[in-house]
Amino acid sequence: MLKIDHLTKRYDDTLALDDLDFEVKPGVVTGFLGPNGSGKSTTMRLILGLDRPTKGSATINGKTYHELKAPLREVGALLDAKAVHPGRSARNHLLSLAASNQIKKARVDEVLEFVGIESVANKKVGGFSLGMSQRLGIAGALLGDPEVLLFDEPVNGLDPEGIRWIREFFRSLANEGRTVFVSSHLMSEMAVSADQIIVIGRGKFITQGSVDDLTATAHGTVFVRASDIHMLTSTLTSNGAEVHEINDLGLTVGGLTSDQVGDLAFKAGITILELTPQRASLEEVFMDLTADSVEYGGGKLGVTHD
Amino acid sequence: MTNEVTLLSTMKSEWIKFRSVRSTILGMVIFVVLTIGLGILVTSLIHANWNSPGSERDHLTFDPVATSLVGTALAQFAVGVIGSLFITTEYTTGSIRTTLAAVPNRWKLIIAKTGVLKISMLLVSEAVCFAAFFIGQAIYGNMNTTIPDTLSNGADLRAVILGGVYLTLLSVIGFSLGMLLRQSAATISAYVGVVLVIPLILFFFPQSIQDSLTKFEPSYLGREMMSVTPIPNAFSPWVAAMILVIYTAVLWVGGILVFQRRDA
Repeated sequence: MLKIDHLTKRYDDTLALDDLDFEVKPGVVTGFLGPNGSGKSTTMRLILGLDRPTKGSATINGKTYHELKAPLREVGALLDAKAVHPGRSARNHLLSLAASNQIKKARVDEVLEFVGIESVANKKVGGFSLGMSQRLGIAGALLGDPEVLLFDEPVNGLDPEGIRWIREFFRSLANEGRTVFVSSHLMSEMAVSADQIIVIGRGKFITQGSVDDLTATAHGTVFVRASDIHMLTSTLTSNGAEVHEINDLGLTVGGLTSDQVGDLAFKAGITILELTPQRASLEEVFMDLTADSVEYGGGKLGVTHD
Repeated sequence: MTNEVTLLSTMKSEWIKFRSVRSTILGMVIFVVLTIGLGILVTSLIHANWNSPGSERDHLTFDPVATSLVGTALAQFAVGVIGSLFITTEYTTGSIRTTLAAVPNRWKLIIAKTGVLKISMLLVSEAVCFAAFFIGQAIYGNMNTTIPDTLSNGADLRAVILGGVYLTLLSVIGFSLGMLLRQSAATISAYVGVVLVIPLILFFFPQSIQDSLTKFEPSYLGREMMSVTPIPNAFSPWVAAMILVIYTAVLWVGGILVFQRRDA
């Protein structure tokens, strides 16, 4: 289990992490979601003891990274796939990692084969595509057969087949009871690959929950078509609903459940032709949650939608 | 103990890293070729011109050992670069993060890295210096000199051994500068500055200052360590070696303290 305990990191005058506090549990894939620059990589670096926390701690099964006797056997991490000496072969890279933690040489060939790069194992890493480097990084993370796995933006650079492979791979790691912590700025990716999601923005914890929990907290809308749209509109608004969109097809209603909309229409004697609850997508939830904390937001163009 | 990160396991890991990149291999080849090749060239020239007119002055200061080890003057750049790159490439490639994730204890990592560097450089340097010595003495042959030129002479043996020590220490100086500066180009520039530029600048100083400062230059200390005939204004070879060890130790400890404190 991975525990982030009031973790704070200040670089000169930038507060990169602000009292981050959460737990990552074993047996599920936990997504770590936030816009670029929100502190995901900083958190990962602090977990691995690469940077010193200003306050708080990150512990793995109760120990800080520095207290682990053979870290690669307890935590596997892929931070930056290209952070390998380009002149060294993939096998030598893994052999050197294995040697430091007294991991058997045979394990190097096992992980090379598992990630599917055994045919280029003796080639220099400098010639690898980003996808191949990602696979090498994953091989390195798996080397010590660790209980806790950290992946920083692992799908970057992977082709669709690779992305599917990595999703299934995360799932299988979690099913083996491991702790799998995957950062991403792509909510669409997290929506399909993660069970639990932790959202941060500008170094601050925003929310945590399952994909369903998160989408449920957002106010969904109800799409309704009725015999008399205008009458329905006035009925609904007088009952506190927000009617977002009116067109020939129907209404998009916020602030009321579909049951309430149906009830009100029935009492007003309006025939309902269609009544569809619309759940907010994780993407919308994410945009909503992090709207105030986007470090490098694009400006709005001259078109507004509402 | 079998499943832990130990100093020995870290050294094994660093040894794999040290020998598996081209910069090390290429640097070593250049080092060996320069030292032995230049030794052959210089000793052959001296031998061929021993009886030419005007060579009497050469005879007075002739040092059969130092002249056979003259290649070390160029080789010191190769060893410095090997030492520098061993740590700076960790930064330039970003692999320092992978390295520290595997070995979080930074003292252990640096001691292991330095150990691998020292042992490999010492073995190669001593082999190269002895080879250059023997080849040089063979070229001199039974040339009629007043200075004995076999290893049974204690001073000769000391000069050759300290030649290897000198080059090893210089590679550690390159490594220590690398810890401090992290960038390959900056580190190599600083190293060249220490070894080459400081003597050049001192050369323009008034003679009295030169006399008191020159003997502290790393490259001058090297000359002192490798000579069997006395050099003016110089420390004795062993004192020179001690001073160079102190330089190296100060830079190394400074480097490790900075490395320890810095975010990776």
